[in-house]
Order: sequence, then C-alpha cells, then structure tokens
Amino acid sequence: MVFLAYLLLIGLVLGLAAVASNPSPYYAALGLVVVAGMGCGVLVGHGGTFLSLILFLIYLGGMLVVFAYSAALASEPYPESWGSWPVLLLMAGYSSLVGFFSTFVSDGWFEGSWIVVDEFSELTLFRGDVGGVALMYSLGGGILILGGWVLLLTLFVVLELTRGLSRGTLRVV
Amino acid sequence: MTPIHYACSSSYFMGLVGLVLYRTQLLSALLCLEAMMLILFISLSLWALQLMSTMFAACPMILLALSACEASAGLALLVATARSHGSGRLKNLSLLRC
Repeated sequence: MVFLAYLLLIGLVLGLAAVASNPSPYYAALGLVVVAGMGCGVLVGHGGTFLSLILFLIYLGGMLVVFAYSAALASEPYPESWGSWPVLLLMAGYSSLVGFFSTFVSDGWFEGSWIVVDEFSELTLFRGDVGGVALMYSLGGGILILGGWVLLLTLFVVLELTRGLSRGTLRVV
Repeated sequence: MTPIHYACSSSYFMGLVGLVLYRTQLLSALLCLEAMMLILFISLSLWALQLMSTMFAACPMILLALSACEASAGLALLVATARSHGSGRLKNLSLLRC
C-alpha cells in the first residue's frame, strides 16, 4: 500500500510535467487523463472512494471528452508529441526541477509517513466523503442552488460567446 | 513537508509554469489550466480526508462545478477564435483589430 501510494504520486507529478511541457493538445489531454487516474488512485488510498468516482465520471467522462472534441476541432497535420526536442527538453527540465527541490524538503520521508489513516479504522458504514457530500443537499442547499444557477448562466455565456456575425465577442473578420 | 503535500504543490506550480510559458496552441494553455483545477480538486479532497473533516468534502464538488463553468467558457473562446482567425494558434491574435 505504501509502495502503491509512492508510485501513484510519482505518476501524478510526471503526468503533470507531461501536460506542462505543452505538446500537441492530443497528447496533453492524454497526460491529463493519466494525472486524473493517478489522482483517483491517491484519493481511493485515503478512503475517498466517492470523490474519486466523481472525479472519474464528471472530470474524465464529461470535461475531458469535451476537451478531446475541441482538440479534434483545432487539429493540426503533424501533432507534436514528446519526441520533438522543445517538448522533451521542457519535460526533462520540469522533472529534474521537481526532483532537485525534493531533496530540500524530503527530511521526514521515511516509510512511516506514508501510511494513510484509512487503514487503521474498523469496519464503518458511514464514509466521510459520502456524508460530507450529502450535506450539500441538506444543510448546504443554498450552495447547490447557486451552483445550478451559475451553470445555467454559463450556458448563456457560451451561447453569446459563439454567436459571431458582428454581434458576438469575437467579430468575424 | 509530507510527500503528498510536495507532490500537489510542485504539480500545481508546474501547471502554472506551463500556462505562463505557452507555446503555439491556445488549447494547450487551457489544458494546463484544467490541470491546475484538477490538482486543486485532489488537494481539497485530501484535506477533507486527511483531517477527517467530513463537512469539507462538499467543497471539491462545488469546485468541480465551477471548474466546469470555467472550462466551457474557455472552450467557447477557443471556438470563437478558431472560427474568426482560422486556427487556434496564438500567433494569429497579434493584430489589435476586431
């Protein structure tokens, strides 16, 4: 379990270095999928299974699918992956920077600090993350309505942004 | 600094540097912004889980809803740019002319 947490965190950092090195959007979206998968593994290791499920469903299944469609819209004939020199140099630079600065903060990184708290609890029926999210529907009903209102407003924002034809945000030349 | 804290902080700053030092496409900058939001979601969830504060677990859900709004607004801007400037490259946005 300790080794799995270690692998997942390394995968998270490397995946984000792959996104931050700005390859072609196809490969950046792939890096983002890897980061989300590793992040879900980290959350599950800490006992947050519901939040991990939400991350997979909403983030990967909703938002990243839309980003993949937009990458197909803005497609280019020769997409640039991590084989081209600027992207590879940037990714190696980011990874080495993270590894270099980890030597300054890695004082207490012995094995005992990796054990997650979820392993020591007995069999429970009430999971923390599920109960916490359920509060959004009972006591926090105001923020639920506000979130729904903001999402509806965003729909109108998107409709107005993509209207075009001398009445939109970016006029047609 | 615990390893999870360092991993999330360094990932967030790498996403920020990737957003600042964009290269050619507008969409890759938007993807770096999405990566920052993802790291924020993971950090808030880990905060709620590690500190055993169950009431705080609603916060990453709200963050996800607002991040979806932000992503859709950014993608609408990308579509408008691609439709009026021909492609989504940032070099085409150099002329100060509508």
